[in-house]
Amino acid sequence: MKKEVSLLKVGGVSLVLIVCLVVLSLVTLSIGTAEYTIPQIVDALLNKDDGPIRVIVLNLRLPRLIMAIEVGACLAVAGALLQSVMRNPLADPGIIGVSAGAVTAATTVLLLFPTMISLVPLLSFVGAALACVLIYILAWRDGVDPVRIILSGVAINTVLGSYNSFLQMLNADNLANVLVFLNGSLSGCNWEQVYVLTFYAGLGLILGFCCIKNANILQLGDEMAKSLGINVNWVRVLLSGVAAFLAASTVSVAGMIGFIGLVVPHIARMMVGSDYKALLPVSTLLGAVLLLAADTLGRTLIPGMEIPVGIIMAATGGPFFLYMLRKKGKVSGS
Amino acid sequence: MEVKGQNLEIGYDGLIIIPEIDIEVRKGEITTIIGPNGSGKSTVLKALTRLLKYTKGVVFINGCDLKEMEPKKLARCIGVLPQMHCAPPDFKVKDLVAYGRVPYQKWYKGNTAEDEEIIEWALKTTGTWHMRNKSINACSGGETQRVWIATVLAQQPEILFLDEPTTYLDISHQQETMRVVKKLNRESGIGVVMVLHDLEQALEVSDRIIVIKEGHKYSEGTPEEVITPKMLHEVYNVEADVIKLPGRKKPLIVYKEI
Repeated sequence: MKKEVSLLKVGGVSLVLIVCLVVLSLVTLSIGTAEYTIPQIVDALLNKDDGPIRVIVLNLRLPRLIMAIEVGACLAVAGALLQSVMRNPLADPGIIGVSAGAVTAATTVLLLFPTMISLVPLLSFVGAALACVLIYILAWRDGVDPVRIILSGVAINTVLGSYNSFLQMLNADNLANVLVFLNGSLSGCNWEQVYVLTFYAGLGLILGFCCIKNANILQLGDEMAKSLGINVNWVRVLLSGVAAFLAASTVSVAGMIGFIGLVVPHIARMMVGSDYKALLPVSTLLGAVLLLAADTLGRTLIPGMEIPVGIIMAATGGPFFLYMLRKKGKVSGS
Repeated sequence: MEVKGQNLEIGYDGLIIIPEIDIEVRKGEITTIIGPNGSGKSTVLKALTRLLKYTKGVVFINGCDLKEMEPKKLARCIGVLPQMHCAPPDFKVKDLVAYGRVPYQKWYKGNTAEDEEIIEWALKTTGTWHMRNKSINACSGGETQRVWIATVLAQQPEILFLDEPTTYLDISHQQETMRVVKKLNRESGIGVVMVLHDLEQALEVSDRIIVIKEGHKYSEGTPEEVITPKMLHEVYNVEADVIKLPGRKKPLIVYKEI
Protein backbone atom coordinates (compact mmCIF):
# COMPACT_ATOMS: atom_id res chain seq x y z
CA MET A 1 0.00 0.00 0.00
CA LYS A 2 2.52 2.55 1.23
CA LYS A 3 4.92 1.73 -1.56
CA GLU A 4 2.28 2.53 -4.15
CA VAL A 5 1.59 5.83 -2.42
CA SER A 6 5.23 6.89 -2.67
CA LEU A 7 5.35 5.75 -6.29
CA LEU A 8 2.30 7.88 -6.93
CA LYS A 9 3.99 10.82 -5.25
CA VAL A 10 7.11 10.53 -7.40
CA GLY A 11 4.97 10.13 -10.50
CA GLY A 12 2.87 13.14 -9.53
CA VAL A 13 5.87 15.35 -8.82
CA SER A 14 7.48 14.29 -12.11
CA LEU A 15 4.29 14.98 -14.02
CA VAL A 16 3.94 18.45 -12.51
CA LEU A 17 7.57 19.20 -13.40
CA ILE A 18 7.11 17.99 -16.96
CA VAL A 19 4.03 20.21 -17.37
CA CYS A 20 6.01 23.12 -15.91
CA LEU A 21 8.81 22.44 -18.37
CA VAL A 22 6.49 22.39 -21.37
CA VAL A 23 4.64 25.55 -20.35
CA LEU A 24 7.88 27.32 -19.52
CA SER A 25 9.37 26.26 -22.85
CA LEU A 26 6.46 27.77 -24.77
CA VAL A 27 6.68 30.96 -22.73
CA THR A 28 10.43 31.13 -23.27
CA LEU A 29 10.02 30.77 -27.02
CA SER A 30 7.41 33.49 -27.13
CA ILE A 31 8.95 36.26 -25.05
CA GLY A 32 12.03 38.36 -25.72
CA THR A 33 12.92 41.40 -27.77
CA ALA A 34 10.23 40.37 -30.22
CA GLU A 35 7.08 39.00 -28.60
CA TYR A 36 4.97 36.29 -30.19
CA THR A 37 1.80 34.52 -29.21
CA ILE A 38 1.83 30.83 -28.45
CA PRO A 39 -0.17 29.90 -31.60
CA GLN A 40 2.42 31.82 -33.64
CA ILE A 41 5.19 29.77 -32.01
CA VAL A 42 3.44 26.48 -32.62
CA ASP A 43 2.87 27.52 -36.24
CA ALA A 44 6.50 28.48 -36.62
CA LEU A 45 7.66 25.18 -35.19
CA LEU A 46 5.36 23.11 -37.37
CA ASN A 47 5.21 25.27 -40.46
CA LYS A 48 7.78 24.84 -43.15
CA ASP A 49 7.93 28.38 -44.61
CA ASP A 50 10.85 30.63 -43.64
CA GLY A 51 9.20 33.65 -42.02
CA PRO A 52 11.09 35.90 -39.57
CA ILE A 53 9.30 34.31 -36.64
CA ARG A 54 10.55 30.90 -37.65
CA VAL A 55 14.12 32.19 -38.01
CA ILE A 56 14.15 33.78 -34.57
CA VAL A 57 12.41 30.91 -32.84
CA LEU A 58 14.31 28.14 -34.54
CA ASN A 59 17.78 29.63 -34.77
CA LEU A 60 17.97 31.80 -31.68
CA ARG A 61 15.51 30.76 -29.01
CA LEU A 62 15.16 27.01 -29.53
CA PRO A 63 18.89 26.13 -29.27
CA ARG A 64 19.14 28.27 -26.17
CA LEU A 65 16.09 26.59 -24.67
CA ILE A 66 17.47 23.11 -25.27
CA MET A 67 20.83 24.17 -23.91
CA ALA A 68 19.29 25.54 -20.70
CA ILE A 69 17.34 22.32 -20.15
CA GLU A 70 20.37 20.12 -20.69
CA VAL A 71 22.74 22.22 -18.61
CA GLY A 72 20.26 22.35 -15.72
CA ALA A 73 19.65 18.61 -15.82
CA CYS A 74 23.37 17.77 -15.98
CA LEU A 75 24.38 20.05 -13.13
CA ALA A 76 21.57 18.81 -10.91
CA VAL A 77 22.44 15.16 -11.48
CA ALA A 78 26.15 15.88 -10.96
CA GLY A 79 25.35 17.55 -7.63
CA ALA A 80 23.07 14.72 -6.51
CA LEU A 81 25.74 12.10 -7.27
CA LEU A 82 28.44 14.05 -5.47
CA GLN A 83 26.29 14.48 -2.37
CA SER A 84 26.14 10.70 -2.15
CA VAL A 85 29.87 10.30 -2.86
CA MET A 86 30.86 12.78 -0.13
CA ARG A 87 27.96 11.89 2.15
CA ASN A 88 27.86 15.62 2.63
CA PRO A 89 24.91 17.89 1.89
CA LEU A 90 27.22 20.73 0.86
CA ALA A 91 28.90 18.86 -1.98
CA ASP A 92 28.50 20.28 -5.46
CA PRO A 93 30.52 20.08 -8.68
CA GLY A 94 32.72 22.94 -7.46
CA ILE A 95 34.17 20.84 -4.67
CA ILE A 96 35.89 18.37 -7.00
CA GLY A 97 37.59 21.17 -8.88
CA VAL A 98 35.48 21.07 -12.03
CA SER A 99 34.74 24.80 -11.96
CA ALA A 100 38.21 25.92 -10.90
CA GLY A 101 39.87 23.72 -13.52
CA ALA A 102 37.59 24.96 -16.28
CA VAL A 103 38.05 28.60 -15.26
CA THR A 104 41.82 28.18 -15.16
CA ALA A 105 41.88 26.79 -18.68
CA ALA A 106 39.42 29.36 -20.01
CA THR A 107 41.14 32.33 -18.36
CA THR A 108 44.53 31.20 -19.61
CA VAL A 109 43.29 30.87 -23.18
CA LEU A 110 41.21 34.05 -23.20
CA LEU A 111 43.89 36.25 -21.65
CA LEU A 112 47.18 34.75 -22.82
CA PHE A 113 46.26 33.08 -26.11
CA PRO A 114 43.22 35.07 -27.32
CA THR A 115 43.64 33.77 -30.87
CA MET A 116 42.67 30.30 -29.67
CA ILE A 117 39.27 31.41 -28.44
CA SER A 118 37.50 28.70 -30.45
CA LEU A 119 39.27 26.08 -28.34
CA VAL A 120 37.84 27.39 -25.05
CA PRO A 121 35.05 24.77 -24.77
CA LEU A 122 37.42 21.87 -25.40
CA LEU A 123 40.22 23.18 -23.21
CA SER A 124 37.93 24.10 -20.33
CA PHE A 125 36.56 20.56 -20.45
CA VAL A 126 40.11 19.23 -20.29
CA GLY A 127 40.98 21.68 -17.49
CA ALA A 128 37.97 20.57 -15.47
CA ALA A 129 38.89 16.92 -15.91
CA LEU A 130 42.55 17.50 -15.00
CA ALA A 131 41.72 19.44 -11.84
CA CYS A 132 39.34 16.68 -10.77
CA VAL A 133 41.91 13.93 -11.39
CA LEU A 134 44.54 15.96 -9.51
CA ILE A 135 42.26 16.33 -6.48
CA TYR A 136 41.56 12.59 -6.39
CA ILE A 137 45.24 11.69 -6.75
CA LEU A 138 46.12 14.02 -3.87
CA ALA A 139 43.27 12.65 -1.76
CA TRP A 140 44.19 9.02 -2.42
CA ARG A 141 45.83 7.19 0.44
CA ASP A 142 44.87 3.56 0.60
CA GLY A 143 41.54 4.57 -0.89
CA VAL A 144 39.55 7.78 -1.16
CA ASP A 145 37.97 9.26 1.90
CA PRO A 146 35.32 12.00 1.50
CA VAL A 147 36.95 14.30 4.03
CA ARG A 148 40.29 14.06 2.22
CA ILE A 149 38.60 14.73 -1.13
CA ILE A 150 36.91 17.82 0.27
CA LEU A 151 40.11 19.10 1.88
CA SER A 152 42.28 18.54 -1.15
CA GLY A 153 39.48 20.07 -3.23
CA VAL A 154 39.56 23.20 -1.10
CA ALA A 155 43.34 23.38 -1.43
CA ILE A 156 43.38 22.96 -5.22
CA ASN A 157 40.48 25.40 -5.62
CA THR A 158 42.41 27.98 -3.62
CA VAL A 159 45.63 27.58 -5.59
CA LEU A 160 43.87 27.71 -8.96
CA GLY A 161 41.79 30.66 -7.71
CA SER A 162 44.92 32.63 -6.86
CA TYR A 163 46.38 31.91 -10.30
CA ASN A 164 43.16 33.09 -11.95
CA SER A 165 42.96 36.24 -9.84
CA PHE A 166 46.57 37.09 -10.65
CA LEU A 167 46.00 36.58 -14.36
CA GLN A 168 42.88 38.74 -14.23
CA MET A 169 44.69 41.46 -12.33
CA LEU A 170 47.39 41.62 -14.98
CA ASN A 171 44.74 41.93 -17.69
CA ALA A 172 42.23 44.10 -15.88
CA ASP A 173 41.20 46.01 -19.02
CA ASN A 174 40.48 42.93 -21.10
CA LEU A 175 38.11 40.89 -18.96
CA ALA A 176 34.84 40.96 -20.92
CA ASN A 177 35.09 37.38 -22.22
CA VAL A 178 36.38 36.06 -18.93
CA LEU A 179 33.49 37.64 -17.05
CA VAL A 180 30.99 36.02 -19.38
CA PHE A 181 32.60 32.65 -18.66
CA LEU A 182 32.81 33.24 -14.91
CA ASN A 183 29.16 34.21 -14.61
CA GLY A 184 27.85 31.46 -16.80
CA SER A 185 25.90 32.48 -19.82
CA LEU A 186 23.82 30.79 -22.46
CA SER A 187 23.77 33.73 -24.84
CA GLY A 188 24.82 33.22 -28.42
CA CYS A 189 24.56 29.47 -28.48
CA ASN A 190 24.00 27.75 -31.79
CA TRP A 191 22.79 24.41 -33.04
CA GLU A 192 26.30 23.03 -33.35
CA GLN A 193 26.87 23.51 -29.62
CA VAL A 194 23.49 21.97 -28.94
CA TYR A 195 24.40 18.82 -30.87
CA VAL A 196 27.69 18.48 -29.01
CA LEU A 197 26.15 19.07 -25.59
CA THR A 198 23.24 16.75 -26.33
CA PHE A 199 25.69 13.96 -27.07
CA TYR A 200 27.69 14.53 -23.88
CA ALA A 201 24.66 15.22 -21.69
CA GLY A 202 22.87 12.15 -23.03
CA LEU A 203 25.85 9.93 -22.35
CA GLY A 204 26.45 11.46 -18.92
CA LEU A 205 22.82 11.22 -17.86
CA ILE A 206 22.58 7.57 -18.92
CA LEU A 207 25.74 6.82 -16.93
CA GLY A 208 24.30 8.83 -14.03
CA PHE A 209 21.13 6.78 -13.98
CA CYS A 210 23.21 3.60 -13.98
CA CYS A 211 24.71 4.78 -10.67
CA ILE A 212 21.42 4.90 -8.77
CA LYS A 213 21.87 1.67 -6.83
CA ASN A 214 25.46 2.44 -5.86
CA ALA A 215 24.56 6.00 -4.85
CA ASN A 216 21.93 4.57 -2.53
CA ILE A 217 24.30 2.03 -1.00
CA LEU A 218 26.92 4.70 -0.26
CA GLN A 219 24.30 6.40 1.92
CA LEU A 220 24.41 3.42 4.30
CA GLY A 221 27.96 4.24 5.39
CA ASP A 222 31.32 2.93 4.15
CA GLU A 223 31.60 -0.11 6.39
CA MET A 224 28.07 -1.27 5.66
CA ALA A 225 28.62 -0.79 1.92
CA LYS A 226 31.86 -2.76 2.15
CA SER A 227 30.23 -5.57 4.04
CA LEU A 228 27.56 -5.78 1.32
CA GLY A 229 30.37 -6.64 -1.09
CA ILE A 230 30.70 -3.18 -2.65
CA ASN A 231 34.12 -1.86 -3.56
CA VAL A 232 33.60 1.53 -1.94
CA ASN A 233 36.68 3.23 -3.38
CA TRP A 234 35.89 2.14 -6.88
CA VAL A 235 32.26 3.24 -6.58
CA ARG A 236 33.34 6.65 -5.25
CA VAL A 237 35.73 7.19 -8.15
CA LEU A 238 33.13 5.97 -10.65
CA LEU A 239 30.36 8.22 -9.35
CA SER A 240 32.69 11.21 -9.10
CA GLY A 241 33.89 10.54 -12.64
CA VAL A 242 30.33 10.58 -13.98
CA ALA A 243 29.54 13.75 -12.01
CA ALA A 244 32.71 15.45 -13.22
CA PHE A 245 31.92 14.46 -16.81
CA LEU A 246 28.42 15.94 -16.54
CA ALA A 247 29.58 19.17 -14.92
CA ALA A 248 32.57 19.60 -17.23
CA SER A 249 30.34 19.17 -20.30
CA THR A 250 28.14 22.06 -19.18
CA VAL A 251 31.00 24.28 -18.07
CA SER A 252 32.64 24.00 -21.47
CA VAL A 253 29.60 25.45 -23.27
CA ALA A 254 27.92 27.61 -20.65
CA GLY A 255 30.70 28.67 -18.32
CA MET A 256 30.33 28.52 -14.57
CA ILE A 257 26.79 28.24 -13.28
CA GLY A 258 26.95 27.77 -9.56
CA PHE A 259 24.44 26.78 -6.93
CA ILE A 260 22.12 24.70 -9.12
CA GLY A 261 24.10 21.51 -8.44
CA LEU A 262 23.84 22.19 -4.73
CA VAL A 263 20.30 23.40 -4.39
CA VAL A 264 18.34 21.21 -6.80
CA PRO A 265 19.11 17.84 -5.15
CA HIS A 266 18.10 19.35 -1.81
CA ILE A 267 14.77 20.60 -3.06
CA ALA A 268 14.21 17.26 -4.79
CA ARG A 269 15.03 15.48 -1.52
CA MET A 270 12.48 17.57 0.33
CA MET A 271 9.89 16.66 -2.28
CA VAL A 272 10.44 12.92 -2.78
CA GLY A 273 12.94 11.73 -0.15
CA SER A 274 16.51 10.47 -0.37
CA ASP A 275 16.07 7.30 -2.40
CA TYR A 276 18.03 7.96 -5.59
CA LYS A 277 15.49 5.96 -7.59
CA ALA A 278 13.16 8.94 -7.06
CA LEU A 279 15.73 11.64 -6.30
CA LEU A 280 17.69 11.40 -9.52
CA PRO A 281 14.81 11.64 -12.01
CA VAL A 282 13.17 14.44 -10.04
CA SER A 283 16.51 16.31 -9.79
CA THR A 284 16.96 15.99 -13.55
CA LEU A 285 13.57 17.56 -14.27
CA LEU A 286 13.83 20.16 -11.55
CA GLY A 287 17.31 21.22 -12.68
CA ALA A 288 16.01 21.68 -16.20
CA VAL A 289 12.99 23.70 -15.05
CA LEU A 290 14.96 25.95 -12.71
CA LEU A 291 17.76 26.74 -15.11
CA LEU A 292 15.35 27.44 -17.95
CA ALA A 293 13.35 29.73 -15.68
CA ALA A 294 16.50 31.53 -14.53
CA ASP A 295 17.77 31.99 -18.07
CA THR A 296 14.44 33.27 -19.33
CA LEU A 297 14.27 35.67 -16.42
CA GLY A 298 17.79 36.91 -17.08
CA ARG A 299 17.00 37.38 -20.75
CA THR A 300 13.81 39.35 -20.24
CA LEU A 301 14.01 41.07 -16.86
CA ILE A 302 15.68 44.23 -18.14
CA PRO A 303 14.75 44.92 -21.78
CA GLY A 304 17.80 45.34 -23.95
CA MET A 305 20.18 43.92 -21.38
CA GLU A 306 21.01 40.36 -20.58
CA ILE A 307 21.79 39.21 -17.04
CA PRO A 308 23.95 36.04 -17.10
CA VAL A 309 22.04 32.98 -15.94
CA GLY A 310 24.69 32.22 -13.30
CA ILE A 311 23.92 35.51 -11.55
CA ILE A 312 20.15 34.97 -11.69
CA MET A 313 20.58 31.43 -10.38
CA ALA A 314 22.65 32.53 -7.42
CA ALA A 315 20.49 35.54 -6.61
CA THR A 316 17.15 33.70 -6.68
CA GLY A 317 18.30 30.20 -5.71
CA GLY A 318 19.74 31.25 -2.36
CA PRO A 319 16.63 32.89 -0.91
CA PHE A 320 14.40 30.16 -2.34
CA PHE A 321 16.57 27.53 -0.71
CA LEU A 322 16.35 29.32 2.62
CA TYR A 323 12.59 29.45 2.26
CA MET A 324 12.41 25.68 1.67
CA LEU A 325 14.71 25.16 4.63
CA ARG A 326 12.52 27.13 7.01
CA LYS A 327 9.33 25.63 5.68
CA LYS A 328 10.42 22.02 6.04
CA GLY A 329 12.64 22.64 9.02
CA LYS A 330 15.15 19.99 8.04
CA VAL A 331 17.61 19.04 5.34
CA SER A 332 18.17 15.33 5.14
CA GLY A 333 21.51 15.34 3.44
CA SER A 334 22.83 12.24 5.21
CA MET B 1 32.06 -23.18 8.20
CA GLU B 2 34.69 -21.39 10.21
CA VAL B 3 36.69 -18.18 10.10
CA LYS B 4 40.24 -18.66 11.27
CA GLY B 5 42.83 -15.95 11.78
CA GLN B 6 46.46 -17.03 12.22
CA ASN B 7 49.36 -14.91 13.50
CA LEU B 8 47.44 -11.73 12.75
CA GLU B 9 49.13 -8.39 13.19
CA ILE B 10 46.56 -5.62 12.86
CA GLY B 11 46.92 -1.86 12.86
CA TYR B 12 46.43 1.28 10.85
CA ASP B 13 48.27 4.53 10.18
CA GLY B 14 51.52 2.91 11.29
CA LEU B 15 50.10 2.05 14.70
CA ILE B 16 50.02 -1.61 15.69
CA ILE B 17 46.96 -2.41 17.77
CA ILE B 18 47.11 -6.18 17.77
CA PRO B 19 50.72 -7.46 17.61
CA GLU B 20 49.85 -11.12 17.22
CA ILE B 21 46.69 -13.12 17.68
CA ASP B 22 45.22 -16.48 16.68
CA ILE B 23 41.48 -16.58 16.62
CA GLU B 24 38.83 -18.94 15.34
CA VAL B 25 35.04 -18.59 15.16
CA ARG B 26 32.59 -21.16 13.93
CA LYS B 27 29.14 -21.56 12.50
CA GLY B 28 26.47 -22.77 14.90
CA GLU B 29 27.75 -21.08 18.06
CA ILE B 30 27.66 -17.66 19.65
CA THR B 31 31.14 -16.32 20.23
CA THR B 32 31.60 -13.11 22.16
CA ILE B 33 34.74 -11.00 22.20
CA ILE B 34 35.13 -8.95 25.36
CA GLY B 35 37.79 -6.67 26.74
CA PRO B 36 38.28 -3.21 28.18
CA ASN B 37 38.08 -0.03 26.09
CA GLY B 38 40.95 0.18 23.64
CA SER B 39 41.92 -3.48 24.03
CA GLY B 40 41.45 -4.07 20.30
CA LYS B 41 38.33 -6.22 20.32
CA SER B 42 36.55 -4.32 17.56
CA THR B 43 39.79 -4.24 15.61
CA VAL B 44 39.92 -8.04 15.63
CA LEU B 45 36.33 -8.25 14.42
CA LYS B 46 37.07 -5.80 11.60
CA ALA B 47 40.16 -7.72 10.50
CA LEU B 48 38.24 -11.01 10.37
CA THR B 49 35.63 -9.38 8.11
CA ARG B 50 38.04 -7.41 5.89
CA LEU B 51 36.79 -4.02 7.06
CA LEU B 52 40.35 -3.45 8.20
CA LYS B 53 43.51 -4.76 6.53
CA TYR B 54 45.80 -6.89 8.64
CA THR B 55 49.49 -6.31 8.18
CA LYS B 56 50.73 -9.85 8.90
CA GLY B 57 49.25 -13.31 9.11
CA VAL B 58 46.36 -14.83 7.26
CA VAL B 59 42.60 -15.27 7.64
CA PHE B 60 40.94 -18.36 6.23
CA ILE B 61 37.22 -18.56 5.56
CA ASN B 62 36.37 -22.21 5.01
CA GLY B 63 39.97 -22.73 3.89
CA CYS B 64 39.92 -19.80 1.41
CA ASP B 65 42.28 -16.88 1.94
CA LEU B 66 40.22 -13.83 2.94
CA LYS B 67 42.40 -11.50 0.86
CA GLU B 68 41.72 -13.47 -2.32
CA MET B 69 37.96 -13.66 -1.93
CA GLU B 70 35.69 -11.81 -4.32
CA PRO B 71 33.79 -9.12 -2.31
CA LYS B 72 30.28 -10.28 -3.16
CA LYS B 73 31.16 -13.93 -2.51
CA LEU B 74 32.48 -12.91 0.89
CA ALA B 75 29.29 -10.95 1.56
CA ARG B 76 27.30 -14.14 0.92
CA CYS B 77 29.33 -16.09 3.50
CA ILE B 78 29.53 -13.57 6.30
CA GLY B 79 27.35 -10.64 7.30
CA VAL B 80 28.77 -7.74 9.27
CA LEU B 81 26.89 -5.11 11.19
CA PRO B 82 29.42 -2.36 11.88
CA GLN B 83 29.13 -0.19 14.94
CA MET B 84 28.76 2.89 12.78
CA HIS B 85 25.99 2.70 10.25
CA CYS B 86 23.51 5.19 9.02
CA ALA B 87 20.53 5.24 6.76
CA PRO B 88 18.72 8.24 5.35
CA PRO B 89 15.90 8.73 7.88
CA ASP B 90 13.18 8.60 5.26
CA PHE B 91 14.19 5.14 3.98
CA LYS B 92 11.51 2.53 4.58
CA VAL B 93 12.36 -0.45 6.76
CA LYS B 94 11.63 -2.88 3.97
CA ASP B 95 13.74 -0.94 1.46
CA LEU B 96 16.67 -0.88 3.85
CA VAL B 97 16.47 -4.62 4.49
CA ALA B 98 16.34 -5.16 0.71
CA TYR B 99 19.93 -3.86 0.51
CA GLY B 100 20.97 -7.09 2.18
CA ARG B 101 20.27 -8.75 -1.16
CA VAL B 102 22.88 -6.65 -2.97
CA PRO B 103 25.56 -9.39 -2.82
CA TYR B 104 23.26 -11.61 -4.88
CA GLN B 105 22.27 -9.01 -7.46
CA LYS B 106 23.80 -7.46 -10.54
CA TRP B 107 23.91 -3.65 -10.39
CA TYR B 108 21.03 -3.25 -12.85
CA LYS B 109 18.73 -5.87 -11.32
CA GLY B 110 15.90 -5.33 -8.87
CA ASN B 111 14.43 -7.80 -6.41
CA THR B 112 13.32 -11.18 -7.68
CA ALA B 113 10.51 -13.18 -6.10
CA GLU B 114 13.17 -15.17 -4.23
CA ASP B 115 14.72 -11.96 -2.90
CA GLU B 116 11.30 -10.83 -1.69
CA GLU B 117 10.81 -14.14 0.11
CA ILE B 118 14.16 -13.85 1.89
CA ILE B 119 13.50 -10.22 2.83
CA GLU B 120 10.18 -11.31 4.33
CA TRP B 121 11.94 -14.09 6.24
CA ALA B 122 14.58 -11.67 7.57
CA LEU B 123 11.91 -9.21 8.69
CA LYS B 124 9.83 -11.90 10.36
CA THR B 125 12.79 -13.53 12.10
CA THR B 126 13.82 -10.25 13.68
CA GLY B 127 10.25 -9.31 14.59
CA THR B 128 10.19 -6.28 12.31
CA TRP B 129 7.67 -7.51 9.72
CA HIS B 130 4.83 -5.43 11.16
CA MET B 131 6.78 -2.20 10.67
CA ARG B 132 8.07 -2.93 7.17
CA ASN B 133 6.39 0.17 5.73
CA LYS B 134 7.51 2.55 8.47
CA SER B 135 10.37 4.90 7.74
CA ILE B 136 13.58 4.53 9.75
CA ASN B 137 13.11 7.78 11.66
CA ALA B 138 9.80 6.47 13.01
CA CYS B 139 11.54 3.46 14.63
CA SER B 140 12.92 3.41 18.17
CA GLY B 141 16.59 2.68 18.82
CA GLY B 142 15.96 -0.97 19.53
CA GLU B 143 13.71 -1.37 16.51
CA THR B 144 16.33 0.27 14.30
CA GLN B 145 18.95 -2.16 15.57
CA ARG B 146 16.69 -5.12 14.76
CA VAL B 147 16.05 -3.68 11.29
CA TRP B 148 19.80 -3.51 10.72
CA ILE B 149 20.18 -7.09 11.90
CA ALA B 150 17.45 -8.03 9.42
CA THR B 151 19.42 -6.26 6.66
CA VAL B 152 22.54 -8.28 7.41
CA LEU B 153 20.42 -11.40 7.76
CA ALA B 154 19.02 -10.90 4.25
CA GLN B 155 22.56 -11.59 3.06
CA GLN B 156 21.90 -15.17 4.23
CA PRO B 157 25.29 -15.35 5.90
CA GLU B 158 26.56 -18.46 7.68
CA ILE B 159 28.24 -16.31 10.30
CA LEU B 160 26.95 -12.97 11.51
CA PHE B 161 29.40 -10.43 12.97
CA LEU B 162 27.93 -7.76 15.24
CA ASP B 163 30.08 -4.93 16.56
CA GLU B 164 28.67 -3.77 19.90
CA PRO B 165 25.04 -4.35 18.91
CA THR B 166 23.66 -3.21 22.26
CA THR B 167 25.70 -0.08 22.94
CA TYR B 168 23.51 3.03 23.21
CA LEU B 169 20.35 0.96 23.83
CA ASP B 170 18.39 0.91 27.07
CA ILE B 171 18.14 -2.35 28.99
CA SER B 172 14.84 -3.45 27.48
CA HIS B 173 16.10 -2.90 23.92
CA GLN B 174 19.38 -4.57 24.82
CA GLN B 175 17.54 -7.68 25.97
CA GLU B 176 15.29 -7.60 22.94
CA THR B 177 18.32 -7.49 20.64
CA MET B 178 20.03 -10.33 22.52
CA ARG B 179 16.85 -12.40 22.35
CA VAL B 180 16.74 -11.99 18.57
CA VAL B 181 20.40 -12.95 18.29
CA LYS B 182 19.99 -16.04 20.43
CA LYS B 183 16.84 -17.11 18.61
CA LEU B 184 18.61 -16.76 15.26
CA ASN B 185 21.44 -18.93 16.42
CA ARG B 186 19.26 -21.62 17.97
CA GLU B 187 16.65 -21.80 15.21
CA SER B 188 18.68 -21.20 12.08
CA GLY B 189 22.09 -22.42 13.21
CA ILE B 190 23.72 -19.15 12.15
CA GLY B 191 27.03 -18.48 13.80
CA VAL B 192 27.16 -15.21 15.71
CA VAL B 193 30.31 -13.30 16.63
CA MET B 194 29.77 -10.24 18.79
CA VAL B 195 31.81 -7.61 20.47
CA LEU B 196 30.09 -6.77 23.75
CA HIS B 197 30.80 -4.38 26.56
CA ASP B 198 28.31 -5.84 28.95
CA LEU B 199 29.78 -8.86 30.75
CA GLU B 200 26.39 -10.08 32.07
CA GLN B 201 25.09 -10.21 28.53
CA ALA B 202 28.18 -12.05 27.38
CA LEU B 203 27.66 -14.57 30.20
CA GLU B 204 24.01 -14.95 29.36
CA VAL B 205 24.07 -15.58 25.61
CA SER B 206 27.53 -16.82 24.66
CA ASP B 207 28.63 -20.37 23.96
CA ARG B 208 32.23 -19.22 23.94
CA ILE B 209 33.95 -16.07 25.12
CA ILE B 210 37.29 -14.67 23.98
CA VAL B 211 38.94 -12.12 26.28
CA ILE B 212 41.28 -9.55 24.73
CA LYS B 213 43.65 -7.56 26.88
CA GLU B 214 45.98 -4.92 25.44
CA GLY B 215 45.99 -6.49 21.99
CA HIS B 216 46.58 -10.05 23.20
CA LYS B 217 44.23 -12.94 23.76
CA TYR B 218 44.02 -13.30 27.54
CA SER B 219 41.75 -16.35 27.71
CA GLU B 220 39.12 -18.28 25.81
CA GLY B 221 36.42 -20.79 26.75
CA THR B 222 32.87 -21.24 27.99
CA PRO B 223 31.40 -18.32 29.95
CA GLU B 224 31.87 -20.21 33.24
CA GLU B 225 35.52 -20.90 32.45
CA VAL B 226 36.32 -17.37 31.38
CA ILE B 227 34.33 -15.05 33.64
CA THR B 228 36.18 -15.47 36.94
CA PRO B 229 37.17 -13.09 39.74
CA LYS B 230 40.77 -13.50 38.64
CA MET B 231 40.02 -12.45 35.04
CA LEU B 232 37.93 -9.49 36.21
CA HIS B 233 40.79 -8.37 38.39
CA GLU B 234 43.58 -8.86 35.85
CA VAL B 235 41.79 -7.62 32.74
CA TYR B 236 39.34 -5.03 33.99
CA ASN B 237 41.00 -4.17 37.28
CA VAL B 238 37.76 -4.61 39.23
CA GLU B 239 37.03 -6.74 42.27
CA ALA B 240 34.05 -9.04 41.96
CA ASP B 241 32.63 -12.41 42.89
CA VAL B 242 30.99 -14.76 40.45
CA ILE B 243 28.14 -16.51 42.23
CA LYS B 244 25.59 -19.19 41.45
CA LEU B 245 21.94 -18.62 42.28
CA PRO B 246 19.58 -21.55 42.65
CA GLY B 247 17.15 -21.66 39.72
CA ARG B 248 19.44 -19.77 37.33
CA LYS B 249 21.50 -21.61 34.74
CA LYS B 250 24.14 -18.93 34.33
CA PRO B 251 26.20 -17.43 37.17
CA LEU B 252 26.03 -13.78 38.20
CA ILE B 253 28.76 -11.22 38.61
CA VAL B 254 28.61 -9.35 41.91
CA TYR B 255 30.90 -6.33 41.96
CA LYS B 256 32.49 -5.06 45.13
CA GLU B 257 30.70 -2.03 46.52
CA ILE B 258 32.21 1.27 45.45
